[in-house]
Amino acid sequence: MANTVIGSSIVIDGEIAGEESLTILGTVKGKISTAQSVVVEAAATVEADVEAQTVTVGGKVTGNVTAREKLELRPEAKMVGNAKAPRIVVADGATFKGNVDMDV
Amino acid sequence: MADKETVIGVETRISGEIRGDEDLVIKGRVDGKIHLSQALTVDKGAIVQADVDVRTLVVAGILVGSIVASESVRLQPTARVVGDLASPRVMMEAGAAYRGRVDMGDVEAARAAVASRAVAKPAASGTDAAKARPAPPRVAAPPRTVAPTTKIAPRFVAPSAGDRPATAPASAPPAFPRVAGAANSAAPAWAKKKIRRR
Repeated sequence: MANTVIGSSIVIDGEIAGEESLTILGTVKGKISTAQSVVVEAAATVEADVEAQTVTVGGKVTGNVTAREKLELRPEAKMVGNAKAPRIVVADGATFKGNVDMDV
Repeated sequence: MADKETVIGVETRISGEIRGDEDLVIKGRVDGKIHLSQALTVDKGAIVQADVDVRTLVVAGILVGSIVASESVRLQPTARVVGDLASPRVMMEAGAAYRGRVDMGDVEAARAAVASRAVAKPAASGTDAAKARPAPPRVAAPPRTVAPTTKIAPRFVAPSAGDRPATAPASAPPAFPRVAGAANSAAPAWAKKKIRRR
C-alpha cells in the first residue's frame, strides 16, 4: 500500500519526490511530487505544492494541488489553494478555498 | 496515530530537514538534516546524505554526514558510512565500512559542534559533505608523502651536493657530514659512478 509514511510527530521541511505512494500523518512543508497517490490523513498538516496521480485530503492542506487522476477532499479536510484535477470529489463537511481547474 | 511507523520508501527522495519524535526508517534517499528524539534506521539500499542527530542509529545502507547519537550507533555489515561519529556506544559489525572520526566521549559537545557548523554553513550542505570527506585522508596521507621524499631527497641531493649546497632537507643533516667527510675528493667519484651505472 503506502510505501512511504510520514508519522504524526514528524516534520519535514523540504522536498519529497518519489515514484510510490505517500501517506502523511505529520507535517510537511515545501513540495511533494510522486508518481502514485498522496494521502493527507486527518491530523496531518501540509504546507506544500502537491503533485501526484491521486490526492486524498483528510487533514489540512495549504498549497496548490495537482492530481493527474483524482482529488478527493474528505469530510474533515481543510484546503486552501488551487486544485487541478480531471476528477474532484468534495465531501460534505470539507472546507475549501481556491480555484478549481478540471481541464474543461 | 502512532500506529504507523514513519518510512521513507525505496523510491522516495526527500531533500530538506526531517524532525520528529518517533522512529524513522529510511529505505530511499534523504539529503539534508535529520533530527529525531528516537531511533533512525538507514536500511540496506538507502542513501542518506545528511547530518544526523538521533537517539539510536542503525545503519545498513549508505550514510554520509556528521552523526550524533545520544544512545548508540550500530553499523551493520552492509553499512557504508562516511563522517564523524559521536555516541557513547558504537558497534561496528564485520563488513561495515566507515571513514571518519569516532568520539565516544562528550556527545553534547559534539552535538553543539555540529549545530554550530550547521548554522555557519547551511547554504551548501551537499558540498559540505563533499568537503568534509577529504579531511580524514589528509591526516593519513602526510606520513606517506613525507617518507618517500626524505628517502629520495638525500640520494639525489648528495651527489650534486658534494660541494655542500645551502639547501639541505630537514632529514639530510645526519647524512651530510658523512658525505662531506669523505667528500671533497669522494664526491666527484660518486657522481661518476652514478653516471656510469645509468
